[in-house]
Amino acid sequence: MEPRRKFDERYLARQRWARAGWVYGTMLALGVFFIGPFYVAFLGSLKDNPLEWPFRATFAQVLPKNWAAAWKLGQQGAGNPLLGGFAPGAVIPFEVTYFVPAGTEPATPTVTVPERRAGAGLGAIFDEVQASQYAQVSPVEEVSRRPARVGEQDGQIVTYRFTISYPRGDPTASEELPTTPRLPLDVEAPRGQVFLTATLDPNRLERRGRVASWDSAAPGFLGYTFKNYVRVFREARDPNTGSSFFLRWTANSFFVSLMAVLVNLLFASLAGYALARMYLPGKGLLFALIILLMAVPQQAMFISNYLVLRDLSLLGSLWGMIVWIGIDMAKVFLMKQFFEAVPREIEEAALIDGANPITTFFRIILPMATPALGALTIMTFQGIWNEFFKAAVVLSGQQGSYTLPLGLSFFRSAYGVAGDWGMMLASAFLSMIPIIILFVVFQRYFVEGVSTSALKG
Amino acid sequence: MKKFWLAALAVAGLSTGLAQTVVKLQGFGGNDTAIISSLLKEVVNPAVEKDGIRAEYQGIEGDYKAALLNALAAGTAGDLFYVDIFWSEPVFASGKVEPLNAYFTQKELGVFVPSLLNAFSFKGKIYGLPKDFNTLAVQFNKDLFDEAGVKYPNQADTWDTFKAKLKEVQTKLKDVAGLCVVADFARFGAFAYATGWKPFNAQGKTVLDANFKRAFQWYTSLVKDGAGRYAQDLGAGWTGQCIGEEKAAVSIEGAWIGGFLKDKAPNMKFGTTYLPLDPVTKQRGNFVYTVSWSMNAASKNKQAAAKVLKALTSPEAQNWILTRGLALPSRGALASSPVFQRADKTGELNRVVFNGSTKQGGNVLPFKFGAYDGGDWMRPINEALQAVITGKKSVDQAIADAQAEINKLVK
Repeated sequence: MEPRRKFDERYLARQRWARAGWVYGTMLALGVFFIGPFYVAFLGSLKDNPLEWPFRATFAQVLPKNWAAAWKLGQQGAGNPLLGGFAPGAVIPFEVTYFVPAGTEPATPTVTVPERRAGAGLGAIFDEVQASQYAQVSPVEEVSRRPARVGEQDGQIVTYRFTISYPRGDPTASEELPTTPRLPLDVEAPRGQVFLTATLDPNRLERRGRVASWDSAAPGFLGYTFKNYVRVFREARDPNTGSSFFLRWTANSFFVSLMAVLVNLLFASLAGYALARMYLPGKGLLFALIILLMAVPQQAMFISNYLVLRDLSLLGSLWGMIVWIGIDMAKVFLMKQFFEAVPREIEEAALIDGANPITTFFRIILPMATPALGALTIMTFQGIWNEFFKAAVVLSGQQGSYTLPLGLSFFRSAYGVAGDWGMMLASAFLSMIPIIILFVVFQRYFVEGVSTSALKG
Repeated sequence: MKKFWLAALAVAGLSTGLAQTVVKLQGFGGNDTAIISSLLKEVVNPAVEKDGIRAEYQGIEGDYKAALLNALAAGTAGDLFYVDIFWSEPVFASGKVEPLNAYFTQKELGVFVPSLLNAFSFKGKIYGLPKDFNTLAVQFNKDLFDEAGVKYPNQADTWDTFKAKLKEVQTKLKDVAGLCVVADFARFGAFAYATGWKPFNAQGKTVLDANFKRAFQWYTSLVKDGAGRYAQDLGAGWTGQCIGEEKAAVSIEGAWIGGFLKDKAPNMKFGTTYLPLDPVTKQRGNFVYTVSWSMNAASKNKQAAAKVLKALTSPEAQNWILTRGLALPSRGALASSPVFQRADKTGELNRVVFNGSTKQGGNVLPFKFGAYDGGDWMRPINEALQAVITGKKSVDQAIADAQAEINKLVK
């Protein structure tokens, strides 16, 4: 029977490899499946036109050439290489290059700094200081001209240069000239003269290639590459106070999440401990009720909760959300299971040393429960951070007290109708950052989870 | 916990401690919250302050209709709220909305554009004052027509001449469609109305008759005859996106496209004209899309709410909204506002869309479908349009199928 066993071993080895192949293959496929949309959405959040079809992975905002140019232009515009702007004293040299087919005489393009206001979204409500009031454009001069062949066509490549400047005002004037957040620029050439390149790639080519149009010719690195991200902070402001909605919402989300985590930790561990260890008449019944409550969907209870919150005058307030979210039966259950695994001997030892139940709980049991509390923290935090339903019920209409998920829904109604998806994608990505940081920091507890026993020590 | 009770007490104390009558307003979330809050602060509240009234706006994110119906049932709805024309009739029929005839004189109601006011009347009573409105118009990209050497669409165009122009542009430019055609009754319906067809006949039935078929045939033939392309084939969801990306020469949209184009293609030279005429009836058709301010029948502050409502629809308030380019006013007299007389592209767009609700608009019907849910009612027709445009069904087959579907709904 010797040869047979040999075959078996080879067969088993093959089986092992095949199994490994399957597992890794599936994980890889899942990875691609989940990362794919993420990647596409992230690129979309950088683009001028996130809905662009066919999809391109290479566009102006991801080219290092433009990063360098945007940095430099931001520096020249307002001494701010990151966010750019247009400040008194700015002098910005700019070049554009066209391909002129043979047989046509190159025409000098017209350069304008147009007045530009947001057409839709919150930006439409605010009056932005317009760079067009202060900008001066120098005459456009031709720099170079050389014959070239583009595609199938003969012709020449012509480069033009101009300078946009912001003269310093009269130093004796009482009011200082304003720094404008952006410097819109339009360069128009006759149709047929093909735009090739410029100091900075334009945000869009309009009118069948006639007009190259920049949202800002002095954008700064972030202002160009992460335009939509900057807009999230600049545009989404409270029309009455002018303060940033997004920062406010982030702060609200943190406040609600942290408070609710604290309240949850306290109540879930206290209740869990009591159910696991304390002598209580009717404990079994109480626990059965808790299990029963876990089975009832939130949506079935929300009307009664809503009415309670209304009578407590907590609607529209962040505290209303905390009160609602503060106690979760599933977490009580989790903690009870954990405390049941803690050996009684530890408590008995504490009892012999003269500790009362409160001391035992806070000084002995709770420190041992760190892994469970860690898991609880991360689960609760993430759940509340992403909580939309309860936020929509409690906070509806009070824009100042929105949390981030509700804020994202606000962006959808304010900007989605105008097809401005870039801003929504950007805000969605921004709202993800804290939760990602939390995952990285608390990763350990994810792995350990509640399985860690207290007996190790 | 102590902190929480303190906060709870503070909140409770605040809400009971004020002597003013607070009128609660509810409406869409998003920008509306920002706009209406500003309007209240700058125009409405200063006007009603002397009566000891203060108005507060609450914008609802997400599904407004569901939220309003819930709130009406639960007794938590505001004193005044938005009602979208699209689902207005079932709400008015429910008795939860106060008729406004007792609070406004005929003269006060007469200042509103009649077709808008009619849109919110139900069984002879007025259930809402139009907040603002929109109609459809044709926007065209002048560069594309110039390049193709085709005359711009104008208000004398019939379906045939309009289609011929689109076809010529599409043939000459090759990489541009005439119109990107959407399979949506919200656009196609305007053409069906031009024939004199109505969603419901005298017996309350929906009959897709010969007139309907004529419009249907024309609309779906745009793609087949090379005067347009199906929007989905151009990667677009609405006709505005096509014109914004210069994928199509014209679009059929309302004034909302103005803000979109300002962001998407600020340099585009576009003109606006009326929808083309039906060559047989020599009429146009159009929709009125509008939203009303309506009063809660269960409100405890009806008199105060009526005062706020007057301030909300006052010439000052509507001018405030109009001059900011946020929406079109529902008062007829504001047609002469300087905003409409501006010679620029936005002025023309607003003027044509505003006039779309008047006689010039032809057979103008509000965008509502009786007691039916508009979405359910339109679905068979949208499916028929899509089936014909994509070549899956013949016109006769598609209309017959749609009629069968509608008969199941409209009893």
